[in-house]
Amino acid sequence: MTQGSRSEPILEVRGLAASYGHVEALSPTDLRLDRGELVAILGPNGAGKSTLLRSIVGLTKTRGEVLCEGEPLPRGDPVAVAARGIVLVPEGRGIFGPMTVMENLRLGAYRVRNGGEVARRYERVFDLFPRLKERLHQPAGSMSGGEQQMVAVGRAMMADPKVLLLDEPSLGLAPRVTVEILETLRRLNAEGLSVVLVEQKAPLALELARRVHLLSLGRTVAVIDPREVKTHDELARYYFA
Amino acid sequence: MSGDLLMQSLVSGLAIGCVYGLIGIGFCVIYNASGIVNFAQGAFVMLGGMLTHVGLKTWHLPYWAAALFAVVAVAVLGVVLERIVVRPLWRRKAPVFVMILATLAAQIVIERLTFLLVDDQPKTLPVFTDLPPLKLGAVALSYQTLWIVAGSLAIVAGLAVFFKSTLTGKAMRACAIDREAALLQAIPVSRMLALAFALSAALGAVAGILLTPTQYTAFNVGVPFAISGFIAAIIGGFGRPFGAFLGGLMLGVVQSVAILSLGSGLKSAAALSVLLVFLFFRPAGIFGVAK
Ligand SMILES: Nc1ncnc2c1ncn2[C@@H]1O[C@H](COP(=O)(O)OP(=O)(O)O)[C@@H](O)[C@H]1O
Ligand SMILES: [Mg+2]
Repeated sequence: MTQGSRSEPILEVRGLAASYGHVEALSPTDLRLDRGELVAILGPNGAGKSTLLRSIVGLTKTRGEVLCEGEPLPRGDPVAVAARGIVLVPEGRGIFGPMTVMENLRLGAYRVRNGGEVARRYERVFDLFPRLKERLHQPAGSMSGGEQQMVAVGRAMMADPKVLLLDEPSLGLAPRVTVEILETLRRLNAEGLSVVLVEQKAPLALELARRVHLLSLGRTVAVIDPREVKTHDELARYYFA
Repeated sequence: MSGDLLMQSLVSGLAIGCVYGLIGIGFCVIYNASGIVNFAQGAFVMLGGMLTHVGLKTWHLPYWAAALFAVVAVAVLGVVLERIVVRPLWRRKAPVFVMILATLAAQIVIERLTFLLVDDQPKTLPVFTDLPPLKLGAVALSYQTLWIVAGSLAIVAGLAVFFKSTLTGKAMRACAIDREAALLQAIPVSRMLALAFALSAALGAVAGILLTPTQYTAFNVGVPFAISGFIAAIIGGFGRPFGAFLGGLMLGVVQSVAILSLGSGLKSAAALSVLLVFLFFRPAGIFGVAK
């Protein structure tokens, strides 16, 4: 695998657009993620946030291009994109419910056949989410929503991703669990992981992100620096600007 | 009816039921990987017996080599079928019923080609162990029956280990649970589909090889086997391999008891009655959890 230069963004989206039938769900969109950065995407329901993430990994038919470290990612081939280390934790988590926690985690490292390496990655995930270690042999679908989200994020981390894409990890979770998961995310980001986080809960995203893209009706209506936005009212102004 | 006759018929019902079960598992493996009900499953069973016969009688291979050749050839045919029939339709996002019809067409093509390339004569294979049947009281137990039961159980156990303990087996289960999530883990879902066809085809071929010494094979035996395997899978709650195996056992026993008590003309009627009972009263199968 070729290493791009340091200044090259780890992920760059250029004019990415997607339609369902004749309805355009995502208008041509640009997005830049530097190495070690956390960018948040905020917007109301139906704004096209999920479509953007799904388009990046090639789950939807798209126009435009996505580059990873300056090299174009193949389009319409989610396996190849995942193999390049761009890993999506989808909305609704997408865990393998009837399978055990351990099996879910193992499949996150599907491409890794070296037992020692797999063991190291398990340890890292247990370090991030100690609770999973106690539940290894439980069917993942039988756990609480928060624990399922931990399985989903843990499984993504088993791939040792270059870029982690998270689609509303807080959806349907109690505030306390949400904080726990976002704290882990903050820690991963501090350790150098590049992250794109989709959220509907604005305060959470504003707190974590370096830059925030505001999406509405399939368009980026603003890119803002959260340090300059301290209140909800200010954020609302952007929506209605 | 005497107890011995009933026992005898239970034994033969369990043996044929094992074969139905293996075919039923084949249906489930492909269905789980793709959502397709593969009606070419019967062709795999027919070809298992037929190709072993060709290897044995035409090429004078040792029995084991002929059987091995048949299983491998049928597995390859399964992959070819997936490549040239299923995958192009899949890519085009054809409706599932179109893909199912395509497998039925493939079944007919394979049947006709066998008719043209071999002939239309029924053929049988020698029994694996040529010894007089064991006697358990008044019940006779042929060695081929033992081969069928032991072989099927060994295969079911092997599959359990494969799906439970190997990474590839886990990946196949993951594809069945959530194909999109599997893609996101970089699991090569389309390769898993080809593997599912190879596995199901091999299962069908083994079923055909185990059974043919007790019956016969001919170019047109596939469809009845496909129907029995399909019923076994329905009884098991479609998509549950081990349910399908139990479903096969149940179907085999019901059929042979029906033959004993009502006459052999009612064999198919018994099978279809079992199917209807399940479709009406337990559409989710014996284990009853709706999918
Ligand atoms: N599979 C689909 N088929 C048709 N329309 C869809 C589909 N998924 C999403 N959409 C539409 O695309 C738009 C964007 O949806 P989505 O990306 O899910 O928004 P968000 O994640 O921001 O809530 C919405 O109008 C939604 O109705
Ligand atoms: Mg969404």
